[in-house]
Amino acid sequence: MVKKGLRFEQLTTFAHHQCAWFLCIYGINSQAIYAFALLFAFHVAAANGKRKNKPFQKALKPSSHLTHARADTSKPYSHLDLLLQFTRSENCDTMSLRVLNPNAEVLNKSAALHMNINAAKGLQDVLKTNLGPKGTIKMLVGGAGDIKLTKDGNTLLKEMQIQNPTAIMIARTAVAQDDASGDGTTSTVLFIGELMKQSERYIDEGMHPRVLVDGLEIAKRATLQFLEKFKTPVVMGEEPDKEILKMVARTTLRTKLYEALADQLTDIVANAVLCIRKPEEPIDLFMVEIMHMRHKFDVDTRLVEGLVLDHGSRHPDMKRRAENCYILTCNVSLEYEKSEINAGFFYTNAEQREAMIAAERRSVDERVQKIIDLKNKVCTGNDNNFVVINQKGIDPPSLDLLAREGIIGLRRAKRRNMERLVLACGGEAVNSVDDLNPDCLGWAGLVYEHVLGEEKYTFVENVKNPHSCTILIKGPNDHTIAQIKDAVRDGLRAVKNTIEDEAVVLGAGAFEVAARQYLVNEVKKTVQGRAQLGVEAFADALLVVPKTLAENSGLDTQDVIIALTGEHDKGNVVGLSQHTGEPIDPQMEGIFDNYSVKRQIINSGPVISSQLLLVDEVIRAGRNMRKPN
Amino acid sequence: MREIVTVQVGGYANFIGSHFWNFQDELLGLADNPESDEIFKYHNLDMNVLYRSGETHMGMPTYTPRLVSVDFQGSLGSVSSRGTLYNEAAAPPGGVSTWIGGVTTRASEPLKKNLFLESLYLEDEDVGITSIDSGKNSCRSEIQDKDIVECLENGVQYWTDFSKVHYHPRSSYELSGLWMDIEDFDNYGVGRDAFSGGLRGEEICERLRFFIEECDHIQGIQFVVDDAGGFSGVAGEFLENIADEYANIPVLLYSVHSPVTSIDPKSRKQTISRKLHDAVSFSRLSAFCKLAVPVGLPSFSRSRASSFLCIKDEKPYHTSAVYASAIHSISLPFRMEQLGPSAQSSYTCGAMAVNDLVQMLAGQAQQNMVSILDVSMPAPSLTGYPVPQSLLENLQPLTPEIAEDVEDFQAVESMTVHGVYRAGSQRASVSEVKDAVQAAYDKAVTRPKFSHLSVARPPLPVPLPFPSIFGNRVGQHGELLDMPISDSASRGSLEVHSIPMAARLRSSNAVLPFLENRLENLRKFGIARGAIGMELVRNWGFGMDELEDMGETLSKMATTLMPCSGEESDSD
Repeated sequence: MVKKGLRFEQLTTFAHHQCAWFLCIYGINSQAIYAFALLFAFHVAAANGKRKNKPFQKALKPSSHLTHARADTSKPYSHLDLLLQFTRSENCDTMSLRVLNPNAEVLNKSAALHMNINAAKGLQDVLKTNLGPKGTIKMLVGGAGDIKLTKDGNTLLKEMQIQNPTAIMIARTAVAQDDASGDGTTSTVLFIGELMKQSERYIDEGMHPRVLVDGLEIAKRATLQFLEKFKTPVVMGEEPDKEILKMVARTTLRTKLYEALADQLTDIVANAVLCIRKPEEPIDLFMVEIMHMRHKFDVDTRLVEGLVLDHGSRHPDMKRRAENCYILTCNVSLEYEKSEINAGFFYTNAEQREAMIAAERRSVDERVQKIIDLKNKVCTGNDNNFVVINQKGIDPPSLDLLAREGIIGLRRAKRRNMERLVLACGGEAVNSVDDLNPDCLGWAGLVYEHVLGEEKYTFVENVKNPHSCTILIKGPNDHTIAQIKDAVRDGLRAVKNTIEDEAVVLGAGAFEVAARQYLVNEVKKTVQGRAQLGVEAFADALLVVPKTLAENSGLDTQDVIIALTGEHDKGNVVGLSQHTGEPIDPQMEGIFDNYSVKRQIINSGPVISSQLLLVDEVIRAGRNMRKPN
Repeated sequence: MREIVTVQVGGYANFIGSHFWNFQDELLGLADNPESDEIFKYHNLDMNVLYRSGETHMGMPTYTPRLVSVDFQGSLGSVSSRGTLYNEAAAPPGGVSTWIGGVTTRASEPLKKNLFLESLYLEDEDVGITSIDSGKNSCRSEIQDKDIVECLENGVQYWTDFSKVHYHPRSSYELSGLWMDIEDFDNYGVGRDAFSGGLRGEEICERLRFFIEECDHIQGIQFVVDDAGGFSGVAGEFLENIADEYANIPVLLYSVHSPVTSIDPKSRKQTISRKLHDAVSFSRLSAFCKLAVPVGLPSFSRSRASSFLCIKDEKPYHTSAVYASAIHSISLPFRMEQLGPSAQSSYTCGAMAVNDLVQMLAGQAQQNMVSILDVSMPAPSLTGYPVPQSLLENLQPLTPEIAEDVEDFQAVESMTVHGVYRAGSQRASVSEVKDAVQAAYDKAVTRPKFSHLSVARPPLPVPLPFPSIFGNRVGQHGELLDMPISDSASRGSLEVHSIPMAARLRSSNAVLPFLENRLENLRKFGIARGAIGMELVRNWGFGMDELEDMGETLSKMATTLMPCSGEESDSD
């Protein structure tokens, strides 16, 4: 799972063998299967001495020529600085490892554990303010003045140059969460951080991590079962309930964009997914093209039923606008290519060379002629138009021929657009002009070109029964566009998840509070012994979501939690109102989260925390991590 | 017109690219400048082959390289990845237009622009406001030039530090979210993952498509990759995509290696990892291109190629300048006007398209697609004085691990000579160069089966940000002097303004050791039973059968070059 985080190759072979000896994992006693060895090789950036306060920097500073060799990438954006404190303790294990491998470094029990806990907390602190519709947006300004704007945990994590190995593990889990379900990155990081924080309390009181982890595992399973009961099933059938889709989309979008903009996008993403949905087939979100345009003042987004291509025709005589168009989608080279025979040595004079070129030219022309023939077949006697969209190239002579016949030709279309075009316009994509017939052709009511400076866009619109569409984003600058794009992607995923899950979960923290009450009131009793504390830790950690929502809204977290748990004990399933701080019914407000996202958070959070909690020693070889200067 | 799109992947590749584009920019500037030498004005080189014309949203015309450059996030130093050319007037006030809640700004400290970039920036500001007291100004800038050269000499950290070219905003692509130290980005596997992770691969290919779509009749892709680390994995995947999408566009690959990365690794494990990486990287990269040119000597300063140069191996800024010069020379024939075989031009001769070059070098009997790059910088005058050797003997290899003094009757060569002197300080005409080279070949002990010659008139212009790497026997216009001209060991762009050059690509069995080394390492550490690096290669995502395929391809490449098989084909 964390293959990349572990750097076995950096350990000397020798140290590698000895590790099995020295990693006395707690798991051995309780016969648990989770014996998990965590070997960290610390990577400290080749920071050219920029990071003066790092305790383990000097030994790693590369000799000066290395810093020249590779452009230094250490700090493009102000990033997470996790300072890890170690307690200096030497024990006999350390000593013996020292004997075996003088370069190996060991952090023992509490130091190792606290290193992990601190890293988790550090990452949590960075992402905390992101959560919810009242979170703050982050503007990252790079060393060269580049701006990145994000409220998305996933994007933020990717922009950070994380160096701490524990933090990388957590970040990878969170990003995997995003890859799998499209949302919940921030929640995952918060949840893992909180689990570590809660566990720390118990471990500091002398509790054995192994027992605690057992409790977490019990709680996790119970919570997943509870989620099955708690979720709100949604029947999809032939015509999905658009309202519920919109509510889920709105819930995510409002955490990324301001309300009016989010609400505008809500309709768009819901319609987009419904457009590409085919019964009995998984939804392929790639069939929604997301296109952007830079526009001086405008922030605007619209759904184009059809396709927008980011290039135009390359011939001055071709029409810029055409109605009632047949669309030919093809992957046929319409350019003259130098074949191998024409390499320069096989002709002796200019005439021969010309003859050879002419022969090759002829075969290209024949292919173009076949397309023209088809055009004449379908367009004679009516004023329909003909558009060729080709994945391969079309050279100027071929463009000339097409233009002369009034055909619009576009070359080098994106590979994905071949598929999208067919879904949007109908017909089929052809790979050869030999078997062209009118059935290959798609149809679009309107094709027109839009020019912005050197950028050209071709709109293929007014199509019949489209199964592919384009979301067109206009924004004043790149960072705004990028941010809206991220939000649109999240919205699309949310709608897709809802359709595929056939269920949603009440949002605004309602699920977390309900699950917590369930764990504390019901599950805990059934657990024997100290593992109860693990269940408790898990239950309390769940509250990080409503707590952070409250905190970001400027509310008192304790008041909020008391009010919410009170209502839940009375049997009312409530969430937190971001405006008033009062309990509200998420159902009434239309605040829904994805079932699969929640499930994944509950699943992955405890797994990674357990692994981190069970680390008893951190060993790394080769470099010095502890010696200050 | 026959366009070329250039791709640069990785740190060192971008260092080379930065120099390469500086040369082009200088050529363009000299052609426009009324005060410049005649030779730069009428050169018959079509710069549109490498450059594209465009316009900004404001309607301002632009002229930028057709270039896709891939590097780490942060590797652009103080320069924005979008460049400055297409910047809109000003960012709208208020900043965030998508969120009405709180905004946290995390600004990293702005990186200071160095003197050179500072001066470029000021120049851009001053455009239009031609100062009245220009005499005074030029005097001041004279002083600045010295400072600039010195500043670059001491502190080039990023490839953008010495770049004077405006790039298109879609040119620079930064790999972000890798979460690793650059030192760990050192093998094929991580690079491969980096390309496929997220939408990176797709975004990079989109950038390329943007430039290719514009081309009416693209002749090829010039691909420079830093193959010492993870970037070769990125490039490998990228090339596979290109080969798939643009099957008919020939790719000319330069896999470059900085001397810095050839320093002995610390541990045995690293040594094995590196050897395996080199083998895997070479066989993957060469699989998806039409002609591969490995470039990069383990130690440049001690090589014979630097006899008139004064180069510090530890400075990529230095070494990359030489490689860039050679690549520039090789690229000249692609931009010459294509004339019929019988037509004559007094400016150029020997025009070739990328495909012609590829066919000539790789398409012959041996089907050897790995070529050796030789360079003579500065090229001596045709008479040879004051250097005893002739032009041919002065060409020294930039490709590592090759055999010397081999006899190969199947060898094919393509040479470009530009800006050389007849004798003393008189430029040779195109036909004189042709005759001289012909004579040199006639006299040579070993002669290739076939050789092609391209000649151009303009020498290599030396732009201001060019490093001070010339020895003290190089004159102002690159002529070789019989005694040192100054006391200081090195001369730079202020003292030397242009350089005559000769560069050659050679397809010969001299490259055999290079291939054999890679094959042997692959077999020894990766394929053999119980090989020590088996686990490592598996981690990079290669199965046994893939490795065996690679081994087979490599061994096939090597066997066709073996002298015995050469003789066989000679007999028919």
